[in-house]
Amino acid sequence: MISSGTLHVISTELTIGMFALSGVAFLLCLLKKGPQSREAVAHWALLGGLIATPLAIFTGLNAAPGEGITNPLLANKMLLSTTSAGLAIGILIRRKLGGDIDSRHASIGMISVAMMLTTAGMGGEYSRNETLLYFIPKETVLIFPVWASIILIILGTVMLGKSAIEHRG
Amino acid sequence: MRTKAATILLLMILSSTISTANPGGEGDAVQSRDCAGSCHASSSTNGVSSANLSIELPDEIYAGLLMEIQTSVGNVDVSSNSMVGMAILINSDGAKDLPANSGWEIITDPNGGMNNYVEITGSFSSQNVVTKSWTLRAPSNPGMYDLFLAVQHGSPNGGVAMSGISSLIQVEVSEVPENLPQLAPDWTPMNIRNLGEETTIKLETLNTDSATVELKIGAEISEISVDDGEFTIPAAVNPGVVEWRVVLEGEGPTQTSPWFRLTAQEPGWEIDETALYLQSIALFLLCAGLVILRRPAGDGYQKNYHDTDPLSTGFEVEATQVTDQVPVALTQESTTSAGPPIPSEGLPAGWTMEQWQYYGQEHLDKLARGEIL
Repeated sequence: MISSGTLHVISTELTIGMFALSGVAFLLCLLKKGPQSREAVAHWALLGGLIATPLAIFTGLNAAPGEGITNPLLANKMLLSTTSAGLAIGILIRRKLGGDIDSRHASIGMISVAMMLTTAGMGGEYSRNETLLYFIPKETVLIFPVWASIILIILGTVMLGKSAIEHRG
Repeated sequence: MRTKAATILLLMILSSTISTANPGGEGDAVQSRDCAGSCHASSSTNGVSSANLSIELPDEIYAGLLMEIQTSVGNVDVSSNSMVGMAILINSDGAKDLPANSGWEIITDPNGGMNNYVEITGSFSSQNVVTKSWTLRAPSNPGMYDLFLAVQHGSPNGGVAMSGISSLIQVEVSEVPENLPQLAPDWTPMNIRNLGEETTIKLETLNTDSATVELKIGAEISEISVDDGEFTIPAAVNPGVVEWRVVLEGEGPTQTSPWFRLTAQEPGWEIDETALYLQSIALFLLCAGLVILRRPAGDGYQKNYHDTDPLSTGFEVEATQVTDQVPVALTQESTTSAGPPIPSEGLPAGWTMEQWQYYGQEHLDKLARGEIL
């Protein structure tokens, strides 16, 4: 029987490996250097990383000792990973809809990758208490009031719906 | 350049240290002795610890009742962090060796948890003996049981993970005498409390007429009254441990429980998880929406800017300067929506218009620099 901890390591390495590859390819897109396949690599690797992300999250939750979120690192990990996943899905859908791969598109892709790599780095700090990202204030969690989150959810849903309608039109 | 990079890489690889242990420990846990690669690499690479290991048992151990044992670790030189991992086990095989496998229950470990493996940072040395207390519940069936004390630690010079295990210690678990005043079999003491909070503990007893609680803070022992089976321990001002035990009197012989340890600690970090989950969903949707809402280039869509515009302008100037070197003449007509002007001989072989829009300027730049013939 493989423990959740081992599965988490496997899924995390899959996720981070693909996100890192995507980040390098997006950097090449930004610099307009390298092979023409950089765009395909950036987006397919991002998709692969996104597919592996839920597995990493669920195995991570099972592997964490105790119940619930009892550490600010875990809370920040959740916020960062969902933000990163949102940006990544936005990037992929935008590309699917025929969006240009301009400097802003590539930059958003790199921001998404950077957030996911930071999330993984925080996981290392949580389990081993060691990190290179010592300068990031990970002990502080910024939580919106529930009403603000609900407004943002409505806003996000409206934006997604609007873009879908525009595209269909 | 490649040679320099390879040299730097080689130096970095050679500068790494080789270690078979996890110097910071793995944290307290319920775990077998054969933790293998998780903390001390393969057991075949471990050294043998010189530690003297012993377990001190109470005179009488009754089936299903709480008891206290003392584990001692002496004559051991450890690494600079003075940490020793200590485990209570039931065999030395490295498998199926958890105390729970033969019915033991860890009620309180030396660190205030409920684990069979704990990491102790103390004054370990070849001249010193470190003793720790464990509260266990004995197996519910009388009989003979085996216990072992195992340790894992580093070495003074580092690099080698040391492992050791005590000799077999046999434990006789007796039938509970009739009418013996005792704590109820399913009663479990509290191990942890928050600072600044009084702690009320409810005792559940059997065959008991009266109970008295003794509270030990430091070396001082005081009595606490028990009303309706409940007693209150005063709030702690600082993090630390208080110990208490109960003296039970009834028809049978008077019984004294083991010392129970109550650790006061700072209140744990808490968060409104509903707000956190909602915010996560909100950020996910908002970020996805914001990115997608950046409208894609399409027919009839007038963009406010385009990345290639300034580059195209630059190229026109550059092209006039390198006309003699580059055998490419440009048509005057520009493309309709994006990309640089198409060369007079048309698109490069195998290129689509979309590729030209994205990569055309880069292609022309390379031509201008002579990178493509």
